[in-house]
Amino acid sequence: MATRRTFLKLTAAASLAAPSIASAQASGRVVVVGGGFGGATAARTLKVLEPKLTVTLVEPNPVFTACPFSNNVLAALREISQQQFGYDGVQKTGVVLAQTAATAVDASGKTVTLTDGSKLPYDRLVLSPGIDINWGALPGYDEAAAEKMPHAWKAGAQTVLLRQQLQAMDDGGLVVISSPANPFRCPPGPYERASLIAYWLKIWKPKSKLLILDSKDAFSKQRLFQNAWAQLYPGLIEWVSLSQGGKVTAVDPATLTVVTDFARHKAAVANIIPPQKAGTIAQKAGVADRTGWCPVEPVAFESTLQPGIHVVGDSAIMGGMPKSAFAANAQAKVCAGAIVELLAGRKPVDPILINTCYSLVAPDYGISVAGVYRPDKGVLADIPGAGGTSPLEVVGGFRGQEALFASSWFKTITTEVFG
Amino acid sequence: MRHRLLLPALASALLLASSLAGGPVRAADAGPPGASSCTGCHAAKRIPDSVIPRIAGRKASDIVQFMREYRSGAWPSSVMGRIAKGFDDQQIDAIAAWFAAQPE
Ligand SMILES: Cc1cc2nc3c(=O)[nH]c(=O)nc-3n(C[C@H](O)[C@H](O)[C@H](O)COP(=O)(O)OP(=O)(O)OC[C@H]3O[C@@H](n4cnc5c(N)ncnc54)[C@H](O)[C@@H]3O)c2cc1C
Ligand code: HEC
Repeated sequence: MATRRTFLKLTAAASLAAPSIASAQASGRVVVVGGGFGGATAARTLKVLEPKLTVTLVEPNPVFTACPFSNNVLAALREISQQQFGYDGVQKTGVVLAQTAATAVDASGKTVTLTDGSKLPYDRLVLSPGIDINWGALPGYDEAAAEKMPHAWKAGAQTVLLRQQLQAMDDGGLVVISSPANPFRCPPGPYERASLIAYWLKIWKPKSKLLILDSKDAFSKQRLFQNAWAQLYPGLIEWVSLSQGGKVTAVDPATLTVVTDFARHKAAVANIIPPQKAGTIAQKAGVADRTGWCPVEPVAFESTLQPGIHVVGDSAIMGGMPKSAFAANAQAKVCAGAIVELLAGRKPVDPILINTCYSLVAPDYGISVAGVYRPDKGVLADIPGAGGTSPLEVVGGFRGQEALFASSWFKTITTEVFG
Repeated sequence: MRHRLLLPALASALLLASSLAGGPVRAADAGPPGASSCTGCHAAKRIPDSVIPRIAGRKASDIVQFMREYRSGAWPSSVMGRIAKGFDDQQIDAIAAWFAAQPE
């Protein structure tokens, strides 16, 4: 252990010192893996901040499908095409797009291996591969099961499948949503989803019920959600907490049965939001720890396990910051700025980051949770006194206005990320 | 409306032209701590049909005043009060100066 640490320190010191000999301006090769909210932002920002850098974005899909607002697709309030973004804007910034997947990373040789076996050398690597489903963590839930009981936690075909199942369901059916333990992508997401499905059921299938089986005793914006459910969808949504026996212990896709320690629920539609982990490439690069997620330092988000590799977005352990698109974008901008400094031989300054997660409880009823973060004792910590949720009591058009701000945010961020 | 929706009408095309494609030095500045998170909602570029007010190119003293009043609660807001409470006077001054120097 001691030798390993010394080695890491030495390489880190070397990689910091070397470029400063050359000049105070950054040049060099940065590879970014993952063209989602974190990766596309990082690639674009690097190029805008320092046009001399060679920035390569590795992403297999020609079109990105965004998760934020994909719950609206389930409730037929949007089409999946409105969630989709190409990479023309990213390329226009001067980023080189490698439309393929990264299959391996050699952290000491500083190369990324691509699907065709070719290797991309880098001076700094940014990983933002998002989440992968932790297959095997929930008995009965595998790739085949996800075709019967969709997770829809990566937007795209899964989202469309869940919407089709809801539309095909008979009025009076039971919709079951299984929500995982922390940490997972988008903490308020399961409850926004329950809200918007309830909104749709109330109009189209009013005899139906929605059951949330939860592996937690508390959730994001809980009182705001529960107050709104009582007001907008009385009797429609039932939430079963961990201590009430809500933890899903197994699923049976053949019979659409969702199993807890206390009951077996036969669903008409089952949305299983399963346990998750950092995108698989993070494990292959050696930057994920035993939790399945990636520890990073809080200034440049460099891995504490492998020097020269930065991790942003859902894959990373970001202290108090939740796994959100807003956070991934904010982290990526800070990371890009810090990499420019590091490549120029300068020390990046301590950042401040904001996160805001909007949720819709109904199309015209928005709520939010915000936080402001700074490095403190080696992690990103909440700045005390800042942040919090929308007020519980409001007058006039407050919720309607937050719903408008939510869609404005989505337009703003997707324009910033994809052009 | 509790806040002014001040939407400077001419600026977006100019801004886009200058901030991408290698643009001016000023646009390539990462900004003081916190500023890059503001742009998640207050973009550099004009966003058609966004109802979040634009702040790029606004007078620094106006931005400072808004931020202080959001922080104290003197000026009502949906989210800015919660955000402004994370910043001290010096940090607000630096962020305001940076936004003021951006193309409107
Ligand atoms: C239903 C739902 C609703 C949500 N709503 C919101 C919301 O309202 N607000 C909010 O802020 N967040 C929301 N989120 C969360 C948000 O989607 C994620 O936090 C965000 O996408 C994280 O960004 P990322 O860059 O880490 O990952 P992603 O955006 O998922 O990007 C990862 C990219 O990496 C690529 N990739 C993976 N492995 C490789 C590889 N080996 N080689 C090359 N490329 C690879 C993938 O193809 C993908 O394009 C929601 C999520 C869900 C599921
Ligand atoms: C989550 C989105 C979001 C983020 C992040 C955000 N703002 Fe705002 N901002 C808003 C909204 C929405 C308003 C309108 C007031 C309200 O309801 O909070 C606003 C209003 C403002 C205004 C008043 C403009 C006017 O003409 O009325 C200023 C100034 C401002 N913000 C500055 C900032 C700064 C500086 C930051 C970063 C430290 C920031 N904002 C981050 C959403 C955001």
